[in-house]
Amino acid sequence: MTELLQFLIAGLKNGAIYSLVALGFTMVYAATGAINFAQGQFFMLGGMLGAAFVGAGLPLPLAALAAVLATALIGAVFELVAVRPIGDGDPLRIIMVTIGGSVLFSQLALHVFGPDTRSLTTFTAGPSLKVLGAAVERQTIWIWCLTALAVAGLALLYRRTMFGRAMRATSLHRDAARLVGINARAMVTASFALAAALGAVAGLAVAPLTQTSFQVGSGVAVKGFAAAILGGLGDPAAAVAGGLVLGILESLTAGYIDPTYKDGVALIILLLVLFVRHQGLFGGSGREKV
Amino acid sequence: MRGRTLKLSMAMLIAALAVSLAIFIGACGSKKSSNSSSNGSIKVGAIVSLTGSYAALGQPEQNTLNMEVKKINDAGGINGKQIDLMIKDDGTDDAKAVAAASELITQDHVVAILGPTGSSTTMAIRGNIDRAGIPEISMAAATPITNPVDKLVFATAWPNSVVVPFTFDYLKKNGITKIGAITDTGGFGADGLAVIKAAAPKMGMTVVDSETFNPGDTDMTAQLTKIKNTDAQAVLMWTAGPEGTIIAKEMQDLGMKIPLYGSHGNGNLQFIQGAGAAANGVKFPAGKILVPAAYGKGSAGYTQATAFITAYQAAYGAAPTTFAGHAFDAIHILADAAKTVSGDVTAAALRDAIEQTSGYVGISGDFTFSPTDHNGMTPKALVMYEIVNGKWTLAK
Amino acid sequence: MGRTLRALAVLVAAVLVACVPLVVTSPFYLQIYTFAGLNALVVVGLALLFGYAGQISLGHAAFVGIGAYTCAYCTVTLHLPWLVAIVAAGALSGAGGLILALPSLRLKGHYLAMATLGFGQLMSLVFVEAVGVTGGVNGRGGIPFPSLGPVVLRSAASLFWLVWAFVAVAVIVAYNLTSARPGRAMRAVHGSELGAQASGVDIVSVKVRTFVLSALLAGLSGALYAGVVGFVSPSSFTLTTSIGFVAMTVLGGSGSLTGPLAAAVLLTFVQYLDSLIPGLPQAAASKLQTYQQDIYGLAIVLVVVLAPRGLAGAWRRRRKGVGTA
Repeated sequence: MTELLQFLIAGLKNGAIYSLVALGFTMVYAATGAINFAQGQFFMLGGMLGAAFVGAGLPLPLAALAAVLATALIGAVFELVAVRPIGDGDPLRIIMVTIGGSVLFSQLALHVFGPDTRSLTTFTAGPSLKVLGAAVERQTIWIWCLTALAVAGLALLYRRTMFGRAMRATSLHRDAARLVGINARAMVTASFALAAALGAVAGLAVAPLTQTSFQVGSGVAVKGFAAAILGGLGDPAAAVAGGLVLGILESLTAGYIDPTYKDGVALIILLLVLFVRHQGLFGGSGREKV
Repeated sequence: MRGRTLKLSMAMLIAALAVSLAIFIGACGSKKSSNSSSNGSIKVGAIVSLTGSYAALGQPEQNTLNMEVKKINDAGGINGKQIDLMIKDDGTDDAKAVAAASELITQDHVVAILGPTGSSTTMAIRGNIDRAGIPEISMAAATPITNPVDKLVFATAWPNSVVVPFTFDYLKKNGITKIGAITDTGGFGADGLAVIKAAAPKMGMTVVDSETFNPGDTDMTAQLTKIKNTDAQAVLMWTAGPEGTIIAKEMQDLGMKIPLYGSHGNGNLQFIQGAGAAANGVKFPAGKILVPAAYGKGSAGYTQATAFITAYQAAYGAAPTTFAGHAFDAIHILADAAKTVSGDVTAAALRDAIEQTSGYVGISGDFTFSPTDHNGMTPKALVMYEIVNGKWTLAK
Repeated sequence: MGRTLRALAVLVAAVLVACVPLVVTSPFYLQIYTFAGLNALVVVGLALLFGYAGQISLGHAAFVGIGAYTCAYCTVTLHLPWLVAIVAAGALSGAGGLILALPSLRLKGHYLAMATLGFGQLMSLVFVEAVGVTGGVNGRGGIPFPSLGPVVLRSAASLFWLVWAFVAVAVIVAYNLTSARPGRAMRAVHGSELGAQASGVDIVSVKVRTFVLSALLAGLSGALYAGVVGFVSPSSFTLTTSIGFVAMTVLGGSGSLTGPLAAAVLLTFVQYLDSLIPGLPQAAASKLQTYQQDIYGLAIVLVVVLAPRGLAGAWRRRRKGVGTA
């Protein structure tokens, strides 16, 4: 029983990280209809910038905030410089640009920060907490809190602000949104900035546990993409659910079958879900997004 | 707007065609100065991973090679001939390593190749080496590199086949015979696990549980929980990646009281920084470069290592890694061997001379090669370290 | 350009490529050109899949891997002749393509991309874990050179000819497919699935056949790679490899074969720029090689931004003039 609980905790920890990355995918997908292959690099940049700022002498909370803002800025600039010139329409070209961008971000990090892994201290020091005999690291609680905060913040932004309504409108129908006076281009820029910020938060939250380096981006991008697809692209709540399901699946496989096949079993289940339900677990009807 | 894009894309197409044409014409005319060590220099190639996943290993290796070649050349070179070193990046990629080897061999006509950094790339260029008949001194450690012996291939990294028995000896001396192993599924861990499983029964050790994880995994609680439920007296982890720090931290969180033993893959500052307080008490085997006093103060090894550490620190602003040590040994074994060659330094003569290496005092240990041993290391090159208050100390 | 003129241009291009080893004697340069050919072979299949059937695959490195390991296993372990090995490699990777294509057919867009990506990741795990066949992370070495009966192709020039001969055959097959009835059907599928269906095109069969063909070509490329390099390990068949193939295909331009072929060659060259630029001083070359991946990434971004229809599009639009573009 304790064992199961321990595996579930581990699964929810990884799942929360996948959720944050998946949310980033969802944001950009909603605004452009494209998959942002550079999403994993925002995760990498968050951790690396955070470590660099701490190294430069900033206290951790300030360094973390600065890293998130800087990554968001990088995301926005990337959209302005590389995505915007493509103009409306072709998601495939946006995908290609983000593939090129992903290579560039990783290389830039290699040149600027060097090849070594970097670490961050845990946000709060101290031994792990005990819940019914299972251990919960303090950093895990941070990860959960940050994920919950991000989701709540996004929900508020979407439902309660003019800006959020404009974003939702744009994702539903870009031309119609433009007709009612919404600046659709600005919405795309904003979605990249938000996605970058979400990725950075995830990268920062997990860096104290796993360390970080210039090359951590692509691995986590695959997991986040899988989570977004598992949930059914386009819906933020479904992306979070997809991430948590994926994390738990992996953890239970590692615990009860074999850790070597953890990724494999998760992938097979993902493929089966796709083959049976073409729109992911929580995706809406068969309606295609135009 | 549309017109400009069009002109630009046309310009780009023309530029691309022009570049291809230039490359092609260059290829036709390209005949870099041809092979020969008699024209005053000895051409040596090196293949390291400056980019890709082994960049953190390859960059210090490149630094060391550049620094040591300059030192050797400034001191008069090899019997009056300068070493002409060409370093290629393989991007931690098999195909690029093969292309680099073929460029060094057929374009630059090198008489020997140092590297590559990784085990997979080392195995990948085996065909180039064998076909060209030139000696190679690899800086990677996987067992198949030197076992079975390839006439042309030598290695300067500590092989698991030496490190694992050394570690088992230490464990037995401390009354530990039952271990739970946790290894990564990448090259280093998989090779380590195979050696651990093969050596354990011979040395009276029992592997009561063996767990694996994939490089990049962020959670080891499942594996560690399983080991916790056995009667293992220690955890033995074999990985060179950052996942080692997660194991150290999660063992604490799970309240595991048994000691954690690592491998020479943990002999880096990143492990201490990443694991923080959880690093305390972790023991791992490695060469003596981490705490030079281990060489024995005043010994030749000590003098050489401290001089190297000081020079490297001055040139690159950081302490040399163990991988820098492998590069140091590779270039110096080569240089020492070349000095014994009378007449032209040909690939064949150089290979024979390298195999004659005997009692070379290096950074990673003392090397003695023979026709049946191309790694040349003994457990004497290793010491057991313990991390105490974030510092490496010699374990008792 | 008329049909005859076009055929003539293709013929001239083929003759020019065939003459390369007569002019370039350096084994190193020939090896890079051979690598370009190996990539081109995969890209021909992907161009069919993408340009004519409207499907994208993020997992084709897996088929390259299946072909490479099949060839290695057949020649090294089973001591089969090379010709048997390469047939087996093509057959197995084609079969793999069929297994993936059947359930994936009903998926669209990003869901299909995810399914192929998942398949690729899964095969990466198999390559690492099936130690008995693949040699695990340490890979499998000692693979013999390709041989046609008693003739062993060991020179760089003969390997170049072998690989590019495969590319030529693949291009001819692809060209015939796209200009004959099945090709029109394939383009119809890309244009509008509903429309194609209404006019009686068997979409399912067209999609499956194209996917299987592309997997088969990738497998052949892998088998040739194994022979050319003599060593295979899992690190050569990763997601990065798959994404590289997609980049070549998309940058080449949709609905074209020459564009993707050109892109395959160019993007292969970019990886070896420091060695390929003639007369580059050694110091500059060693500086350049650390920035090679940056140039690769930048090249992708620039082509997408500046040439909206890929390399083929840039070429076509110049010929047609601004007005008609």
